[in-house]
Amino acid sequence: MNILYELAYSFLKIGFFGFGGGFAMIPLMQHVAVHQHSWMSSAQFGVAIALGQVTPGPVAISATFIGYKVAGLPGALLATIAIFTPSLLIMYLLDRFYLKERKNEITHAIMHGIMPVIVALILLAAVSLGRPAVHSWWQALVVVTVAVLAITRRVSYGLLVLGCMAVGALMGL
Amino acid sequence: MRPSDDELGQSGSPSPTTWNITLTYFKIGALGFGGGYAVLDLIHTELVVKQRWLSEEGFEDMTALSEMAPGALTVNLLAAIAYRIGGIWAMISATAALILPSFVLIIALTGLFLAWQNNPVVQSAMKGLTAGVVGLLIAVVWDIGKGVPKHWYCFAVGITALLLGLAFPVNPIWLVLLGGLAGVIKVLLAAVFKKNSSAGRSTQ
Repeated sequence: MNILYELAYSFLKIGFFGFGGGFAMIPLMQHVAVHQHSWMSSAQFGVAIALGQVTPGPVAISATFIGYKVAGLPGALLATIAIFTPSLLIMYLLDRFYLKERKNEITHAIMHGIMPVIVALILLAAVSLGRPAVHSWWQALVVVTVAVLAITRRVSYGLLVLGCMAVGALMGL
Repeated sequence: MRPSDDELGQSGSPSPTTWNITLTYFKIGALGFGGGYAVLDLIHTELVVKQRWLSEEGFEDMTALSEMAPGALTVNLLAAIAYRIGGIWAMISATAALILPSFVLIIALTGLFLAWQNNPVVQSAMKGLTAGVVGLLIAVVWDIGKGVPKHWYCFAVGITALLLGLAFPVNPIWLVLLGGLAGVIKVLLAAVFKKNSSAGRSTQ
């Protein structure tokens, strides 16, 4: 009961403060699942993100992995509902009360302040995921190759993740 | 309580039923790989081109609105559209249908992973996968970073957040809120300076 409450509370909070899209929610989820509650190892959190990439649908679905790992099917259901409910609520309220002034100067100013923070947070998430896990030359090579392919060649994230898994499995044989 | 068709800028298509919207959203949920901007094209094709549930202009407006709100961009956008064209129940059932395919897949894959995670080959695959995710996050940093305005204060805010995050185990939510606050302070200061300088000019 307690763990379910904790899951719902944590993911509602992430849903409400996850400005900047699905990837911006990754540092928030990492903080809760790995650093704050030790629900999973850093490497397992990496798997949560990877699964969000190889499946269709929003990136934030990594919440389902975390919920399932922590409390089985009820946990998965609760975490998923909790992370997406704020979206529904906020879009409903925005649509009802805010639409006419959406080009508001203050809103733009807030987003201009938030965007650089999100960039910094995702960079920090990459560092905190990579530091304990990336030890060998081939992993370093994978990091660089994936980053370059994703930026320049626009290879889909799901394919890149599958490729990295295959490379990892081959290196372990 | 729904806004009139005129306000929506609809192209005169018949009002879709909750079931129609839910079914279309299920399809988007099952085919929309990649999340975020990668899925915007698919959403546009399905809702604007094929179904004609909203106009180009309406779509652009709602995308801009969705970018401002917290949460996943695609979920925000699709939830808002479903509410516009079908009301509150369409919004809830269509969003559930949107998430359902990935939810079921994730549950299945997570079950497999948890059962096999101690297998040496899986362990090794995870090493490759973790490295890949680090690479992806760097690419995301690059992509989002490109869209940040090249103002000195954006750099200052970003560097400050980076240093704070490195130095303290602070909840990232606080850094997000601080960033928003920095944006407000900047715009308020700019307004004050503008007022002062125009007041100065008018006295001359």
